[in-house]
Amino acid sequence: MRKTACLAAAFCIVAPALHADSLTLFATGEDLATAGFTAPKLTRDGWALEFSRIMVSFDQITAWQSNPPFMADGPEIFGEALVFPGPVIVDLVDADEDDRVKLASMVAAPGHYNALSWALVPAASGEIEGYSLVLEGVARKDGQDVAFTLRSADAMMHACGEYMGDTRKGFVTDDSAGDLEITLHLDHLFGRADKGAEDETNIAALGFDSFAAGGVYEFSLGDLHVGHVGEGHCHVTSM
Amino acid sequence: MSLRCRSALLLCLALVVSAPQMALAHAAIMEAEVAQAIRLHAFYETGEPMSQAQVIIYAPDDPAQVWGQGIADMDGRYEFIPDAIAGRWSVQVRQAGHGVMAHLEIGANAPVITVSSTPDTWAQRALMVALVAWGALGTALYARSRKGKPDASA
Repeated sequence: MRKTACLAAAFCIVAPALHADSLTLFATGEDLATAGFTAPKLTRDGWALEFSRIMVSFDQITAWQSNPPFMADGPEIFGEALVFPGPVIVDLVDADEDDRVKLASMVAAPGHYNALSWALVPAASGEIEGYSLVLEGVARKDGQDVAFTLRSADAMMHACGEYMGDTRKGFVTDDSAGDLEITLHLDHLFGRADKGAEDETNIAALGFDSFAAGGVYEFSLGDLHVGHVGEGHCHVTSM
Repeated sequence: MSLRCRSALLLCLALVVSAPQMALAHAAIMEAEVAQAIRLHAFYETGEPMSQAQVIIYAPDDPAQVWGQGIADMDGRYEFIPDAIAGRWSVQVRQAGHGVMAHLEIGANAPVITVSSTPDTWAQRALMVALVAWGALGTALYARSRKGKPDASA
């Protein structure tokens, strides 16, 4: 009995502080952010990338209960909105064991939050002032080490449909908390050597050769469609 | 959970066949019922099929849990027989890090009312899912054959 009580107490201490009626937002650059681009997942032009930090500035984050479901086919989402405080600046390299970084958690009405809108916005102050996305690290190829800083000042609004992944997300009930995830697909920036040259990712991606001299570069997110919700898609609009 | 796809019908047939055999050896009885099924076709805007894409199905009564899953064929097609649960059924089709979600409304009398799917606007590529109800005739196929003599113990 004592042992059971101790175990229960221990569980209470380590259990995540998520209330049953809450919705928690995470951001992730997946393993490509935390582990980098390593063989066979090199960039499309054969570079290994190790990131020291990937700073992202998010704002206007809103979870939606849309009915009928929003299908990421336009900039506007209709439904019940849950607005999260912002802006939020996070480092996607400094992530948990699931490669996720917590953005915020809020009390939420029960339901299925099946859409998510958010913006990448230039930071108003701080280390990445003026930029919405900054990637720093070292690239390696053929014995050459190249230190780089790549940064974008673009402001991009994302209107996303339902999160898509191994588990369906966004359900808040009286008994359980829900979570959602903003997913940045870094292979849309750099491509992937383990995919064919004709793969859409590699056709559109920047690769790394154009940054191979090292130093600081600015780039445009343009039509790269880096922002997703898991494997689900977003309608992207320049702000 | 894949038993709820097209192979579910075959499994049901097998059960119907095997159950009477316990009581009547050497008798093979087959019963089949034509049920309403959903045919799914997943393909890219280019027309290229989503060959062997992962398919995950969610039922309206417990939308957070997987109701059924399977793999599309080489033509990107997949069929399943939904339970008689009215409401919104949702289907995910995933392949190579990209996915598409489709929803269909099934009413009390089981007609498919609406279908919608998520476009992928990235790089002018789109994933599309077409869902078509078929086979709602409700007819039955009954076949019975007997080989040899009935088991005396039956």
